[in-house]
Amino acid sequence: MINASKEKKNKIIDNIFKFFFLAMAILSSSFIVILVLFIFMKGISPFLPGYEFGQVDIISFLFGTTYRQDQGIYGVGFIVINTIISAFASLLLSFPISVLCALFIVKIAPKKIGEIMKSVVELLASVPSIVYGVFASGVIVIFVKWLASIFGVTTAGGSSLLAVIILLAIMIFPTITSMSITAIQAVDKDLEHASLALGATKTQTNFKVVLTSAKSGIFAGAILGIGRAFGEATAVSMVAGNKLFGPTFDLFDITRTLTSTMLAGLKETSGLDYDIRFSVGIVLLFVIFFSNWLLNLLKDRIGKNS
Amino acid sequence: MSRQVKDNILNGITYLCAFLGVLFLGSILVYVLTNGLKLINWDLIKNDYWSQNYLVAVTDNEPKEFTCDSCNGYFSTKWGVSFTDEVTSHKENVITIEYIAPGSPFENLTSLTAGDMYGTTIPVDEGYMIEKLDYIDSQGNAAIGGKILKQDAKALQESLDDASEITSIYIQSPGEGIRGSLIATLYLILISLVISLPIGIASAIYLNEYADKSKMNRLIRQGIETLTGVPSIVYGLMGVSVLFPVTTVFGATGTSILLGGLTMAIILLPTIIRSVEEALIVVPQSLRDASLSLGATKSQTIFKVVLPCCMNGILTGVLLSIGRVIGESAALIYTMGTFISDNPVVNGPATSLSLMIWSFMSAEQPNFELACAISIIILAVVLVLNIIVKIVGKKLSKNFV
Repeated sequence: MINASKEKKNKIIDNIFKFFFLAMAILSSSFIVILVLFIFMKGISPFLPGYEFGQVDIISFLFGTTYRQDQGIYGVGFIVINTIISAFASLLLSFPISVLCALFIVKIAPKKIGEIMKSVVELLASVPSIVYGVFASGVIVIFVKWLASIFGVTTAGGSSLLAVIILLAIMIFPTITSMSITAIQAVDKDLEHASLALGATKTQTNFKVVLTSAKSGIFAGAILGIGRAFGEATAVSMVAGNKLFGPTFDLFDITRTLTSTMLAGLKETSGLDYDIRFSVGIVLLFVIFFSNWLLNLLKDRIGKNS
Repeated sequence: MSRQVKDNILNGITYLCAFLGVLFLGSILVYVLTNGLKLINWDLIKNDYWSQNYLVAVTDNEPKEFTCDSCNGYFSTKWGVSFTDEVTSHKENVITIEYIAPGSPFENLTSLTAGDMYGTTIPVDEGYMIEKLDYIDSQGNAAIGGKILKQDAKALQESLDDASEITSIYIQSPGEGIRGSLIATLYLILISLVISLPIGIASAIYLNEYADKSKMNRLIRQGIETLTGVPSIVYGLMGVSVLFPVTTVFGATGTSILLGGLTMAIILLPTIIRSVEEALIVVPQSLRDASLSLGATKSQTIFKVVLPCCMNGILTGVLLSIGRVIGESAALIYTMGTFISDNPVVNGPATSLSLMIWSFMSAEQPNFELACAISIIILAVVLVLNIIVKIVGKKLSKNFV
């Protein structure tokens, strides 16, 4: 009798815990829904009629080429282009370096040096973005200024599109490298042996067999890297310069990205200028989503060819 | 071109790429160390950020004879205080107190500012800066000295030795310290972990111990994984719009440490869930089976057998989270504000160490030296945390081999 009631009690406790764990898991995963929902609600409110600070025209917001907080002109069209330019240019710069560095670590370097290089990459990955920002506004900016003086161009103290690209390239380097390391390590040894047995040298095998077999994983690293480049905020804001109109194609001209727009002049702002940052946030989410989708399509196509 | 040459060139390029990686890390470290290392001392951690001005009088207004053996600066033998010239990180020349001899009138200074402060003792220490000195000289005439007369430490010491009586001293506390931000960072870590750990551990337990491959569970996992890809600045927006009403219950009126902590808690969730899950997977199924077959219920098994086995995983999650909180800036700019507070309270605005850097780097005159000094502290903490995580991780994989 006693045993039975105890068992019943245990069963109830067991069920309570099960539901508690389930509830927590649902809570954790519902944050993404809450996040998107609330930012959407707040972000589209300036475009709806009856908005308390004066309705904003959504067409001129999405395709505008001027963003002036002081005059209340908000157009993010050129900022989207700027963001895409800086992110893809940094990927272009960083991708070959990262992949070859990963190849070096896994296949070419002596074991000891490979281990050390792996730690270097891990350390770079753990450097917080604010430290990258300090480094960028102290070193990269000087480098860009020097480069500009060679070409006979003047820059706004070194803050420029080029500075943003170099900064982002350094920041996404550890992301792409560590993903590539995993991908290269996973390449089937038999493939390599087959290539070597056919008379290819070790280097030819590394470049032609290993890299092509690992391309799907390497590409995943690139997607992750560009996601980081799109979302990077503080460090980019410190060297972007926040141009009022655009788009910027000149490497030595100042630029403006979606994230630097969201942070610019946040200290003393309210009303529409504050709410519009949520709209910019939605645009940022869309840009990330679409570039991810496009790159994933590309990845699948590349994957099928092999 | 022969194959050999071609291979060597290709290999050489990979060496170059690896060298670039070392160069990135090296130049970051060299830059912050060369610029910030000289500011790293106990004063940086102890001091407030904002310097305070005091108008003070000496209580014991009588020159005596003092000696100082170890003073490098200019020592006033009559008043027992030594001055040195220093340059602040704002490139400003100041006269600072280097040493106060025991029994010196400078040991006991009282405020002359009208109001509540009047007559209270101002604890003046080494590092305080002398702005202006009003005194009666040896001829009995009123005279002034100090920084505002463009005097240096030597001239100030000569003026002071000439004084028969000190009327008032205008003094400035050193400032440029990180004490307030350090406390705020600790609060932030504490709040975010207290909220994030239970939710994270419970979610990981559900995903690993209970969840079957049903559609709902796949959706739950998908939701948590998507959180990882969201840029941190977007979390800042979420904090302001979703979590702000929660903090108003606790008396917050705008940005606050509490709001920052709640936002960080959500940012940390995927990290904690992943580290705990990785530890849960390693726990052998036979342990669970043994516990269940002895008559323990599932929840008893989880709390008494499974969880104690994955303490290392929880520790890893905590350490990674601390590193993330210390380094986070974008989300916190929205939720904690950028005003540096020397006396942070949980429901008021303050800055973490990273935010502090952002706060004065985005100002008119960026202070690179202080930014680098704080960067050194942040990097040191992150480095130590990473090393501990590695050691813990090695132990974890050994546990069940």
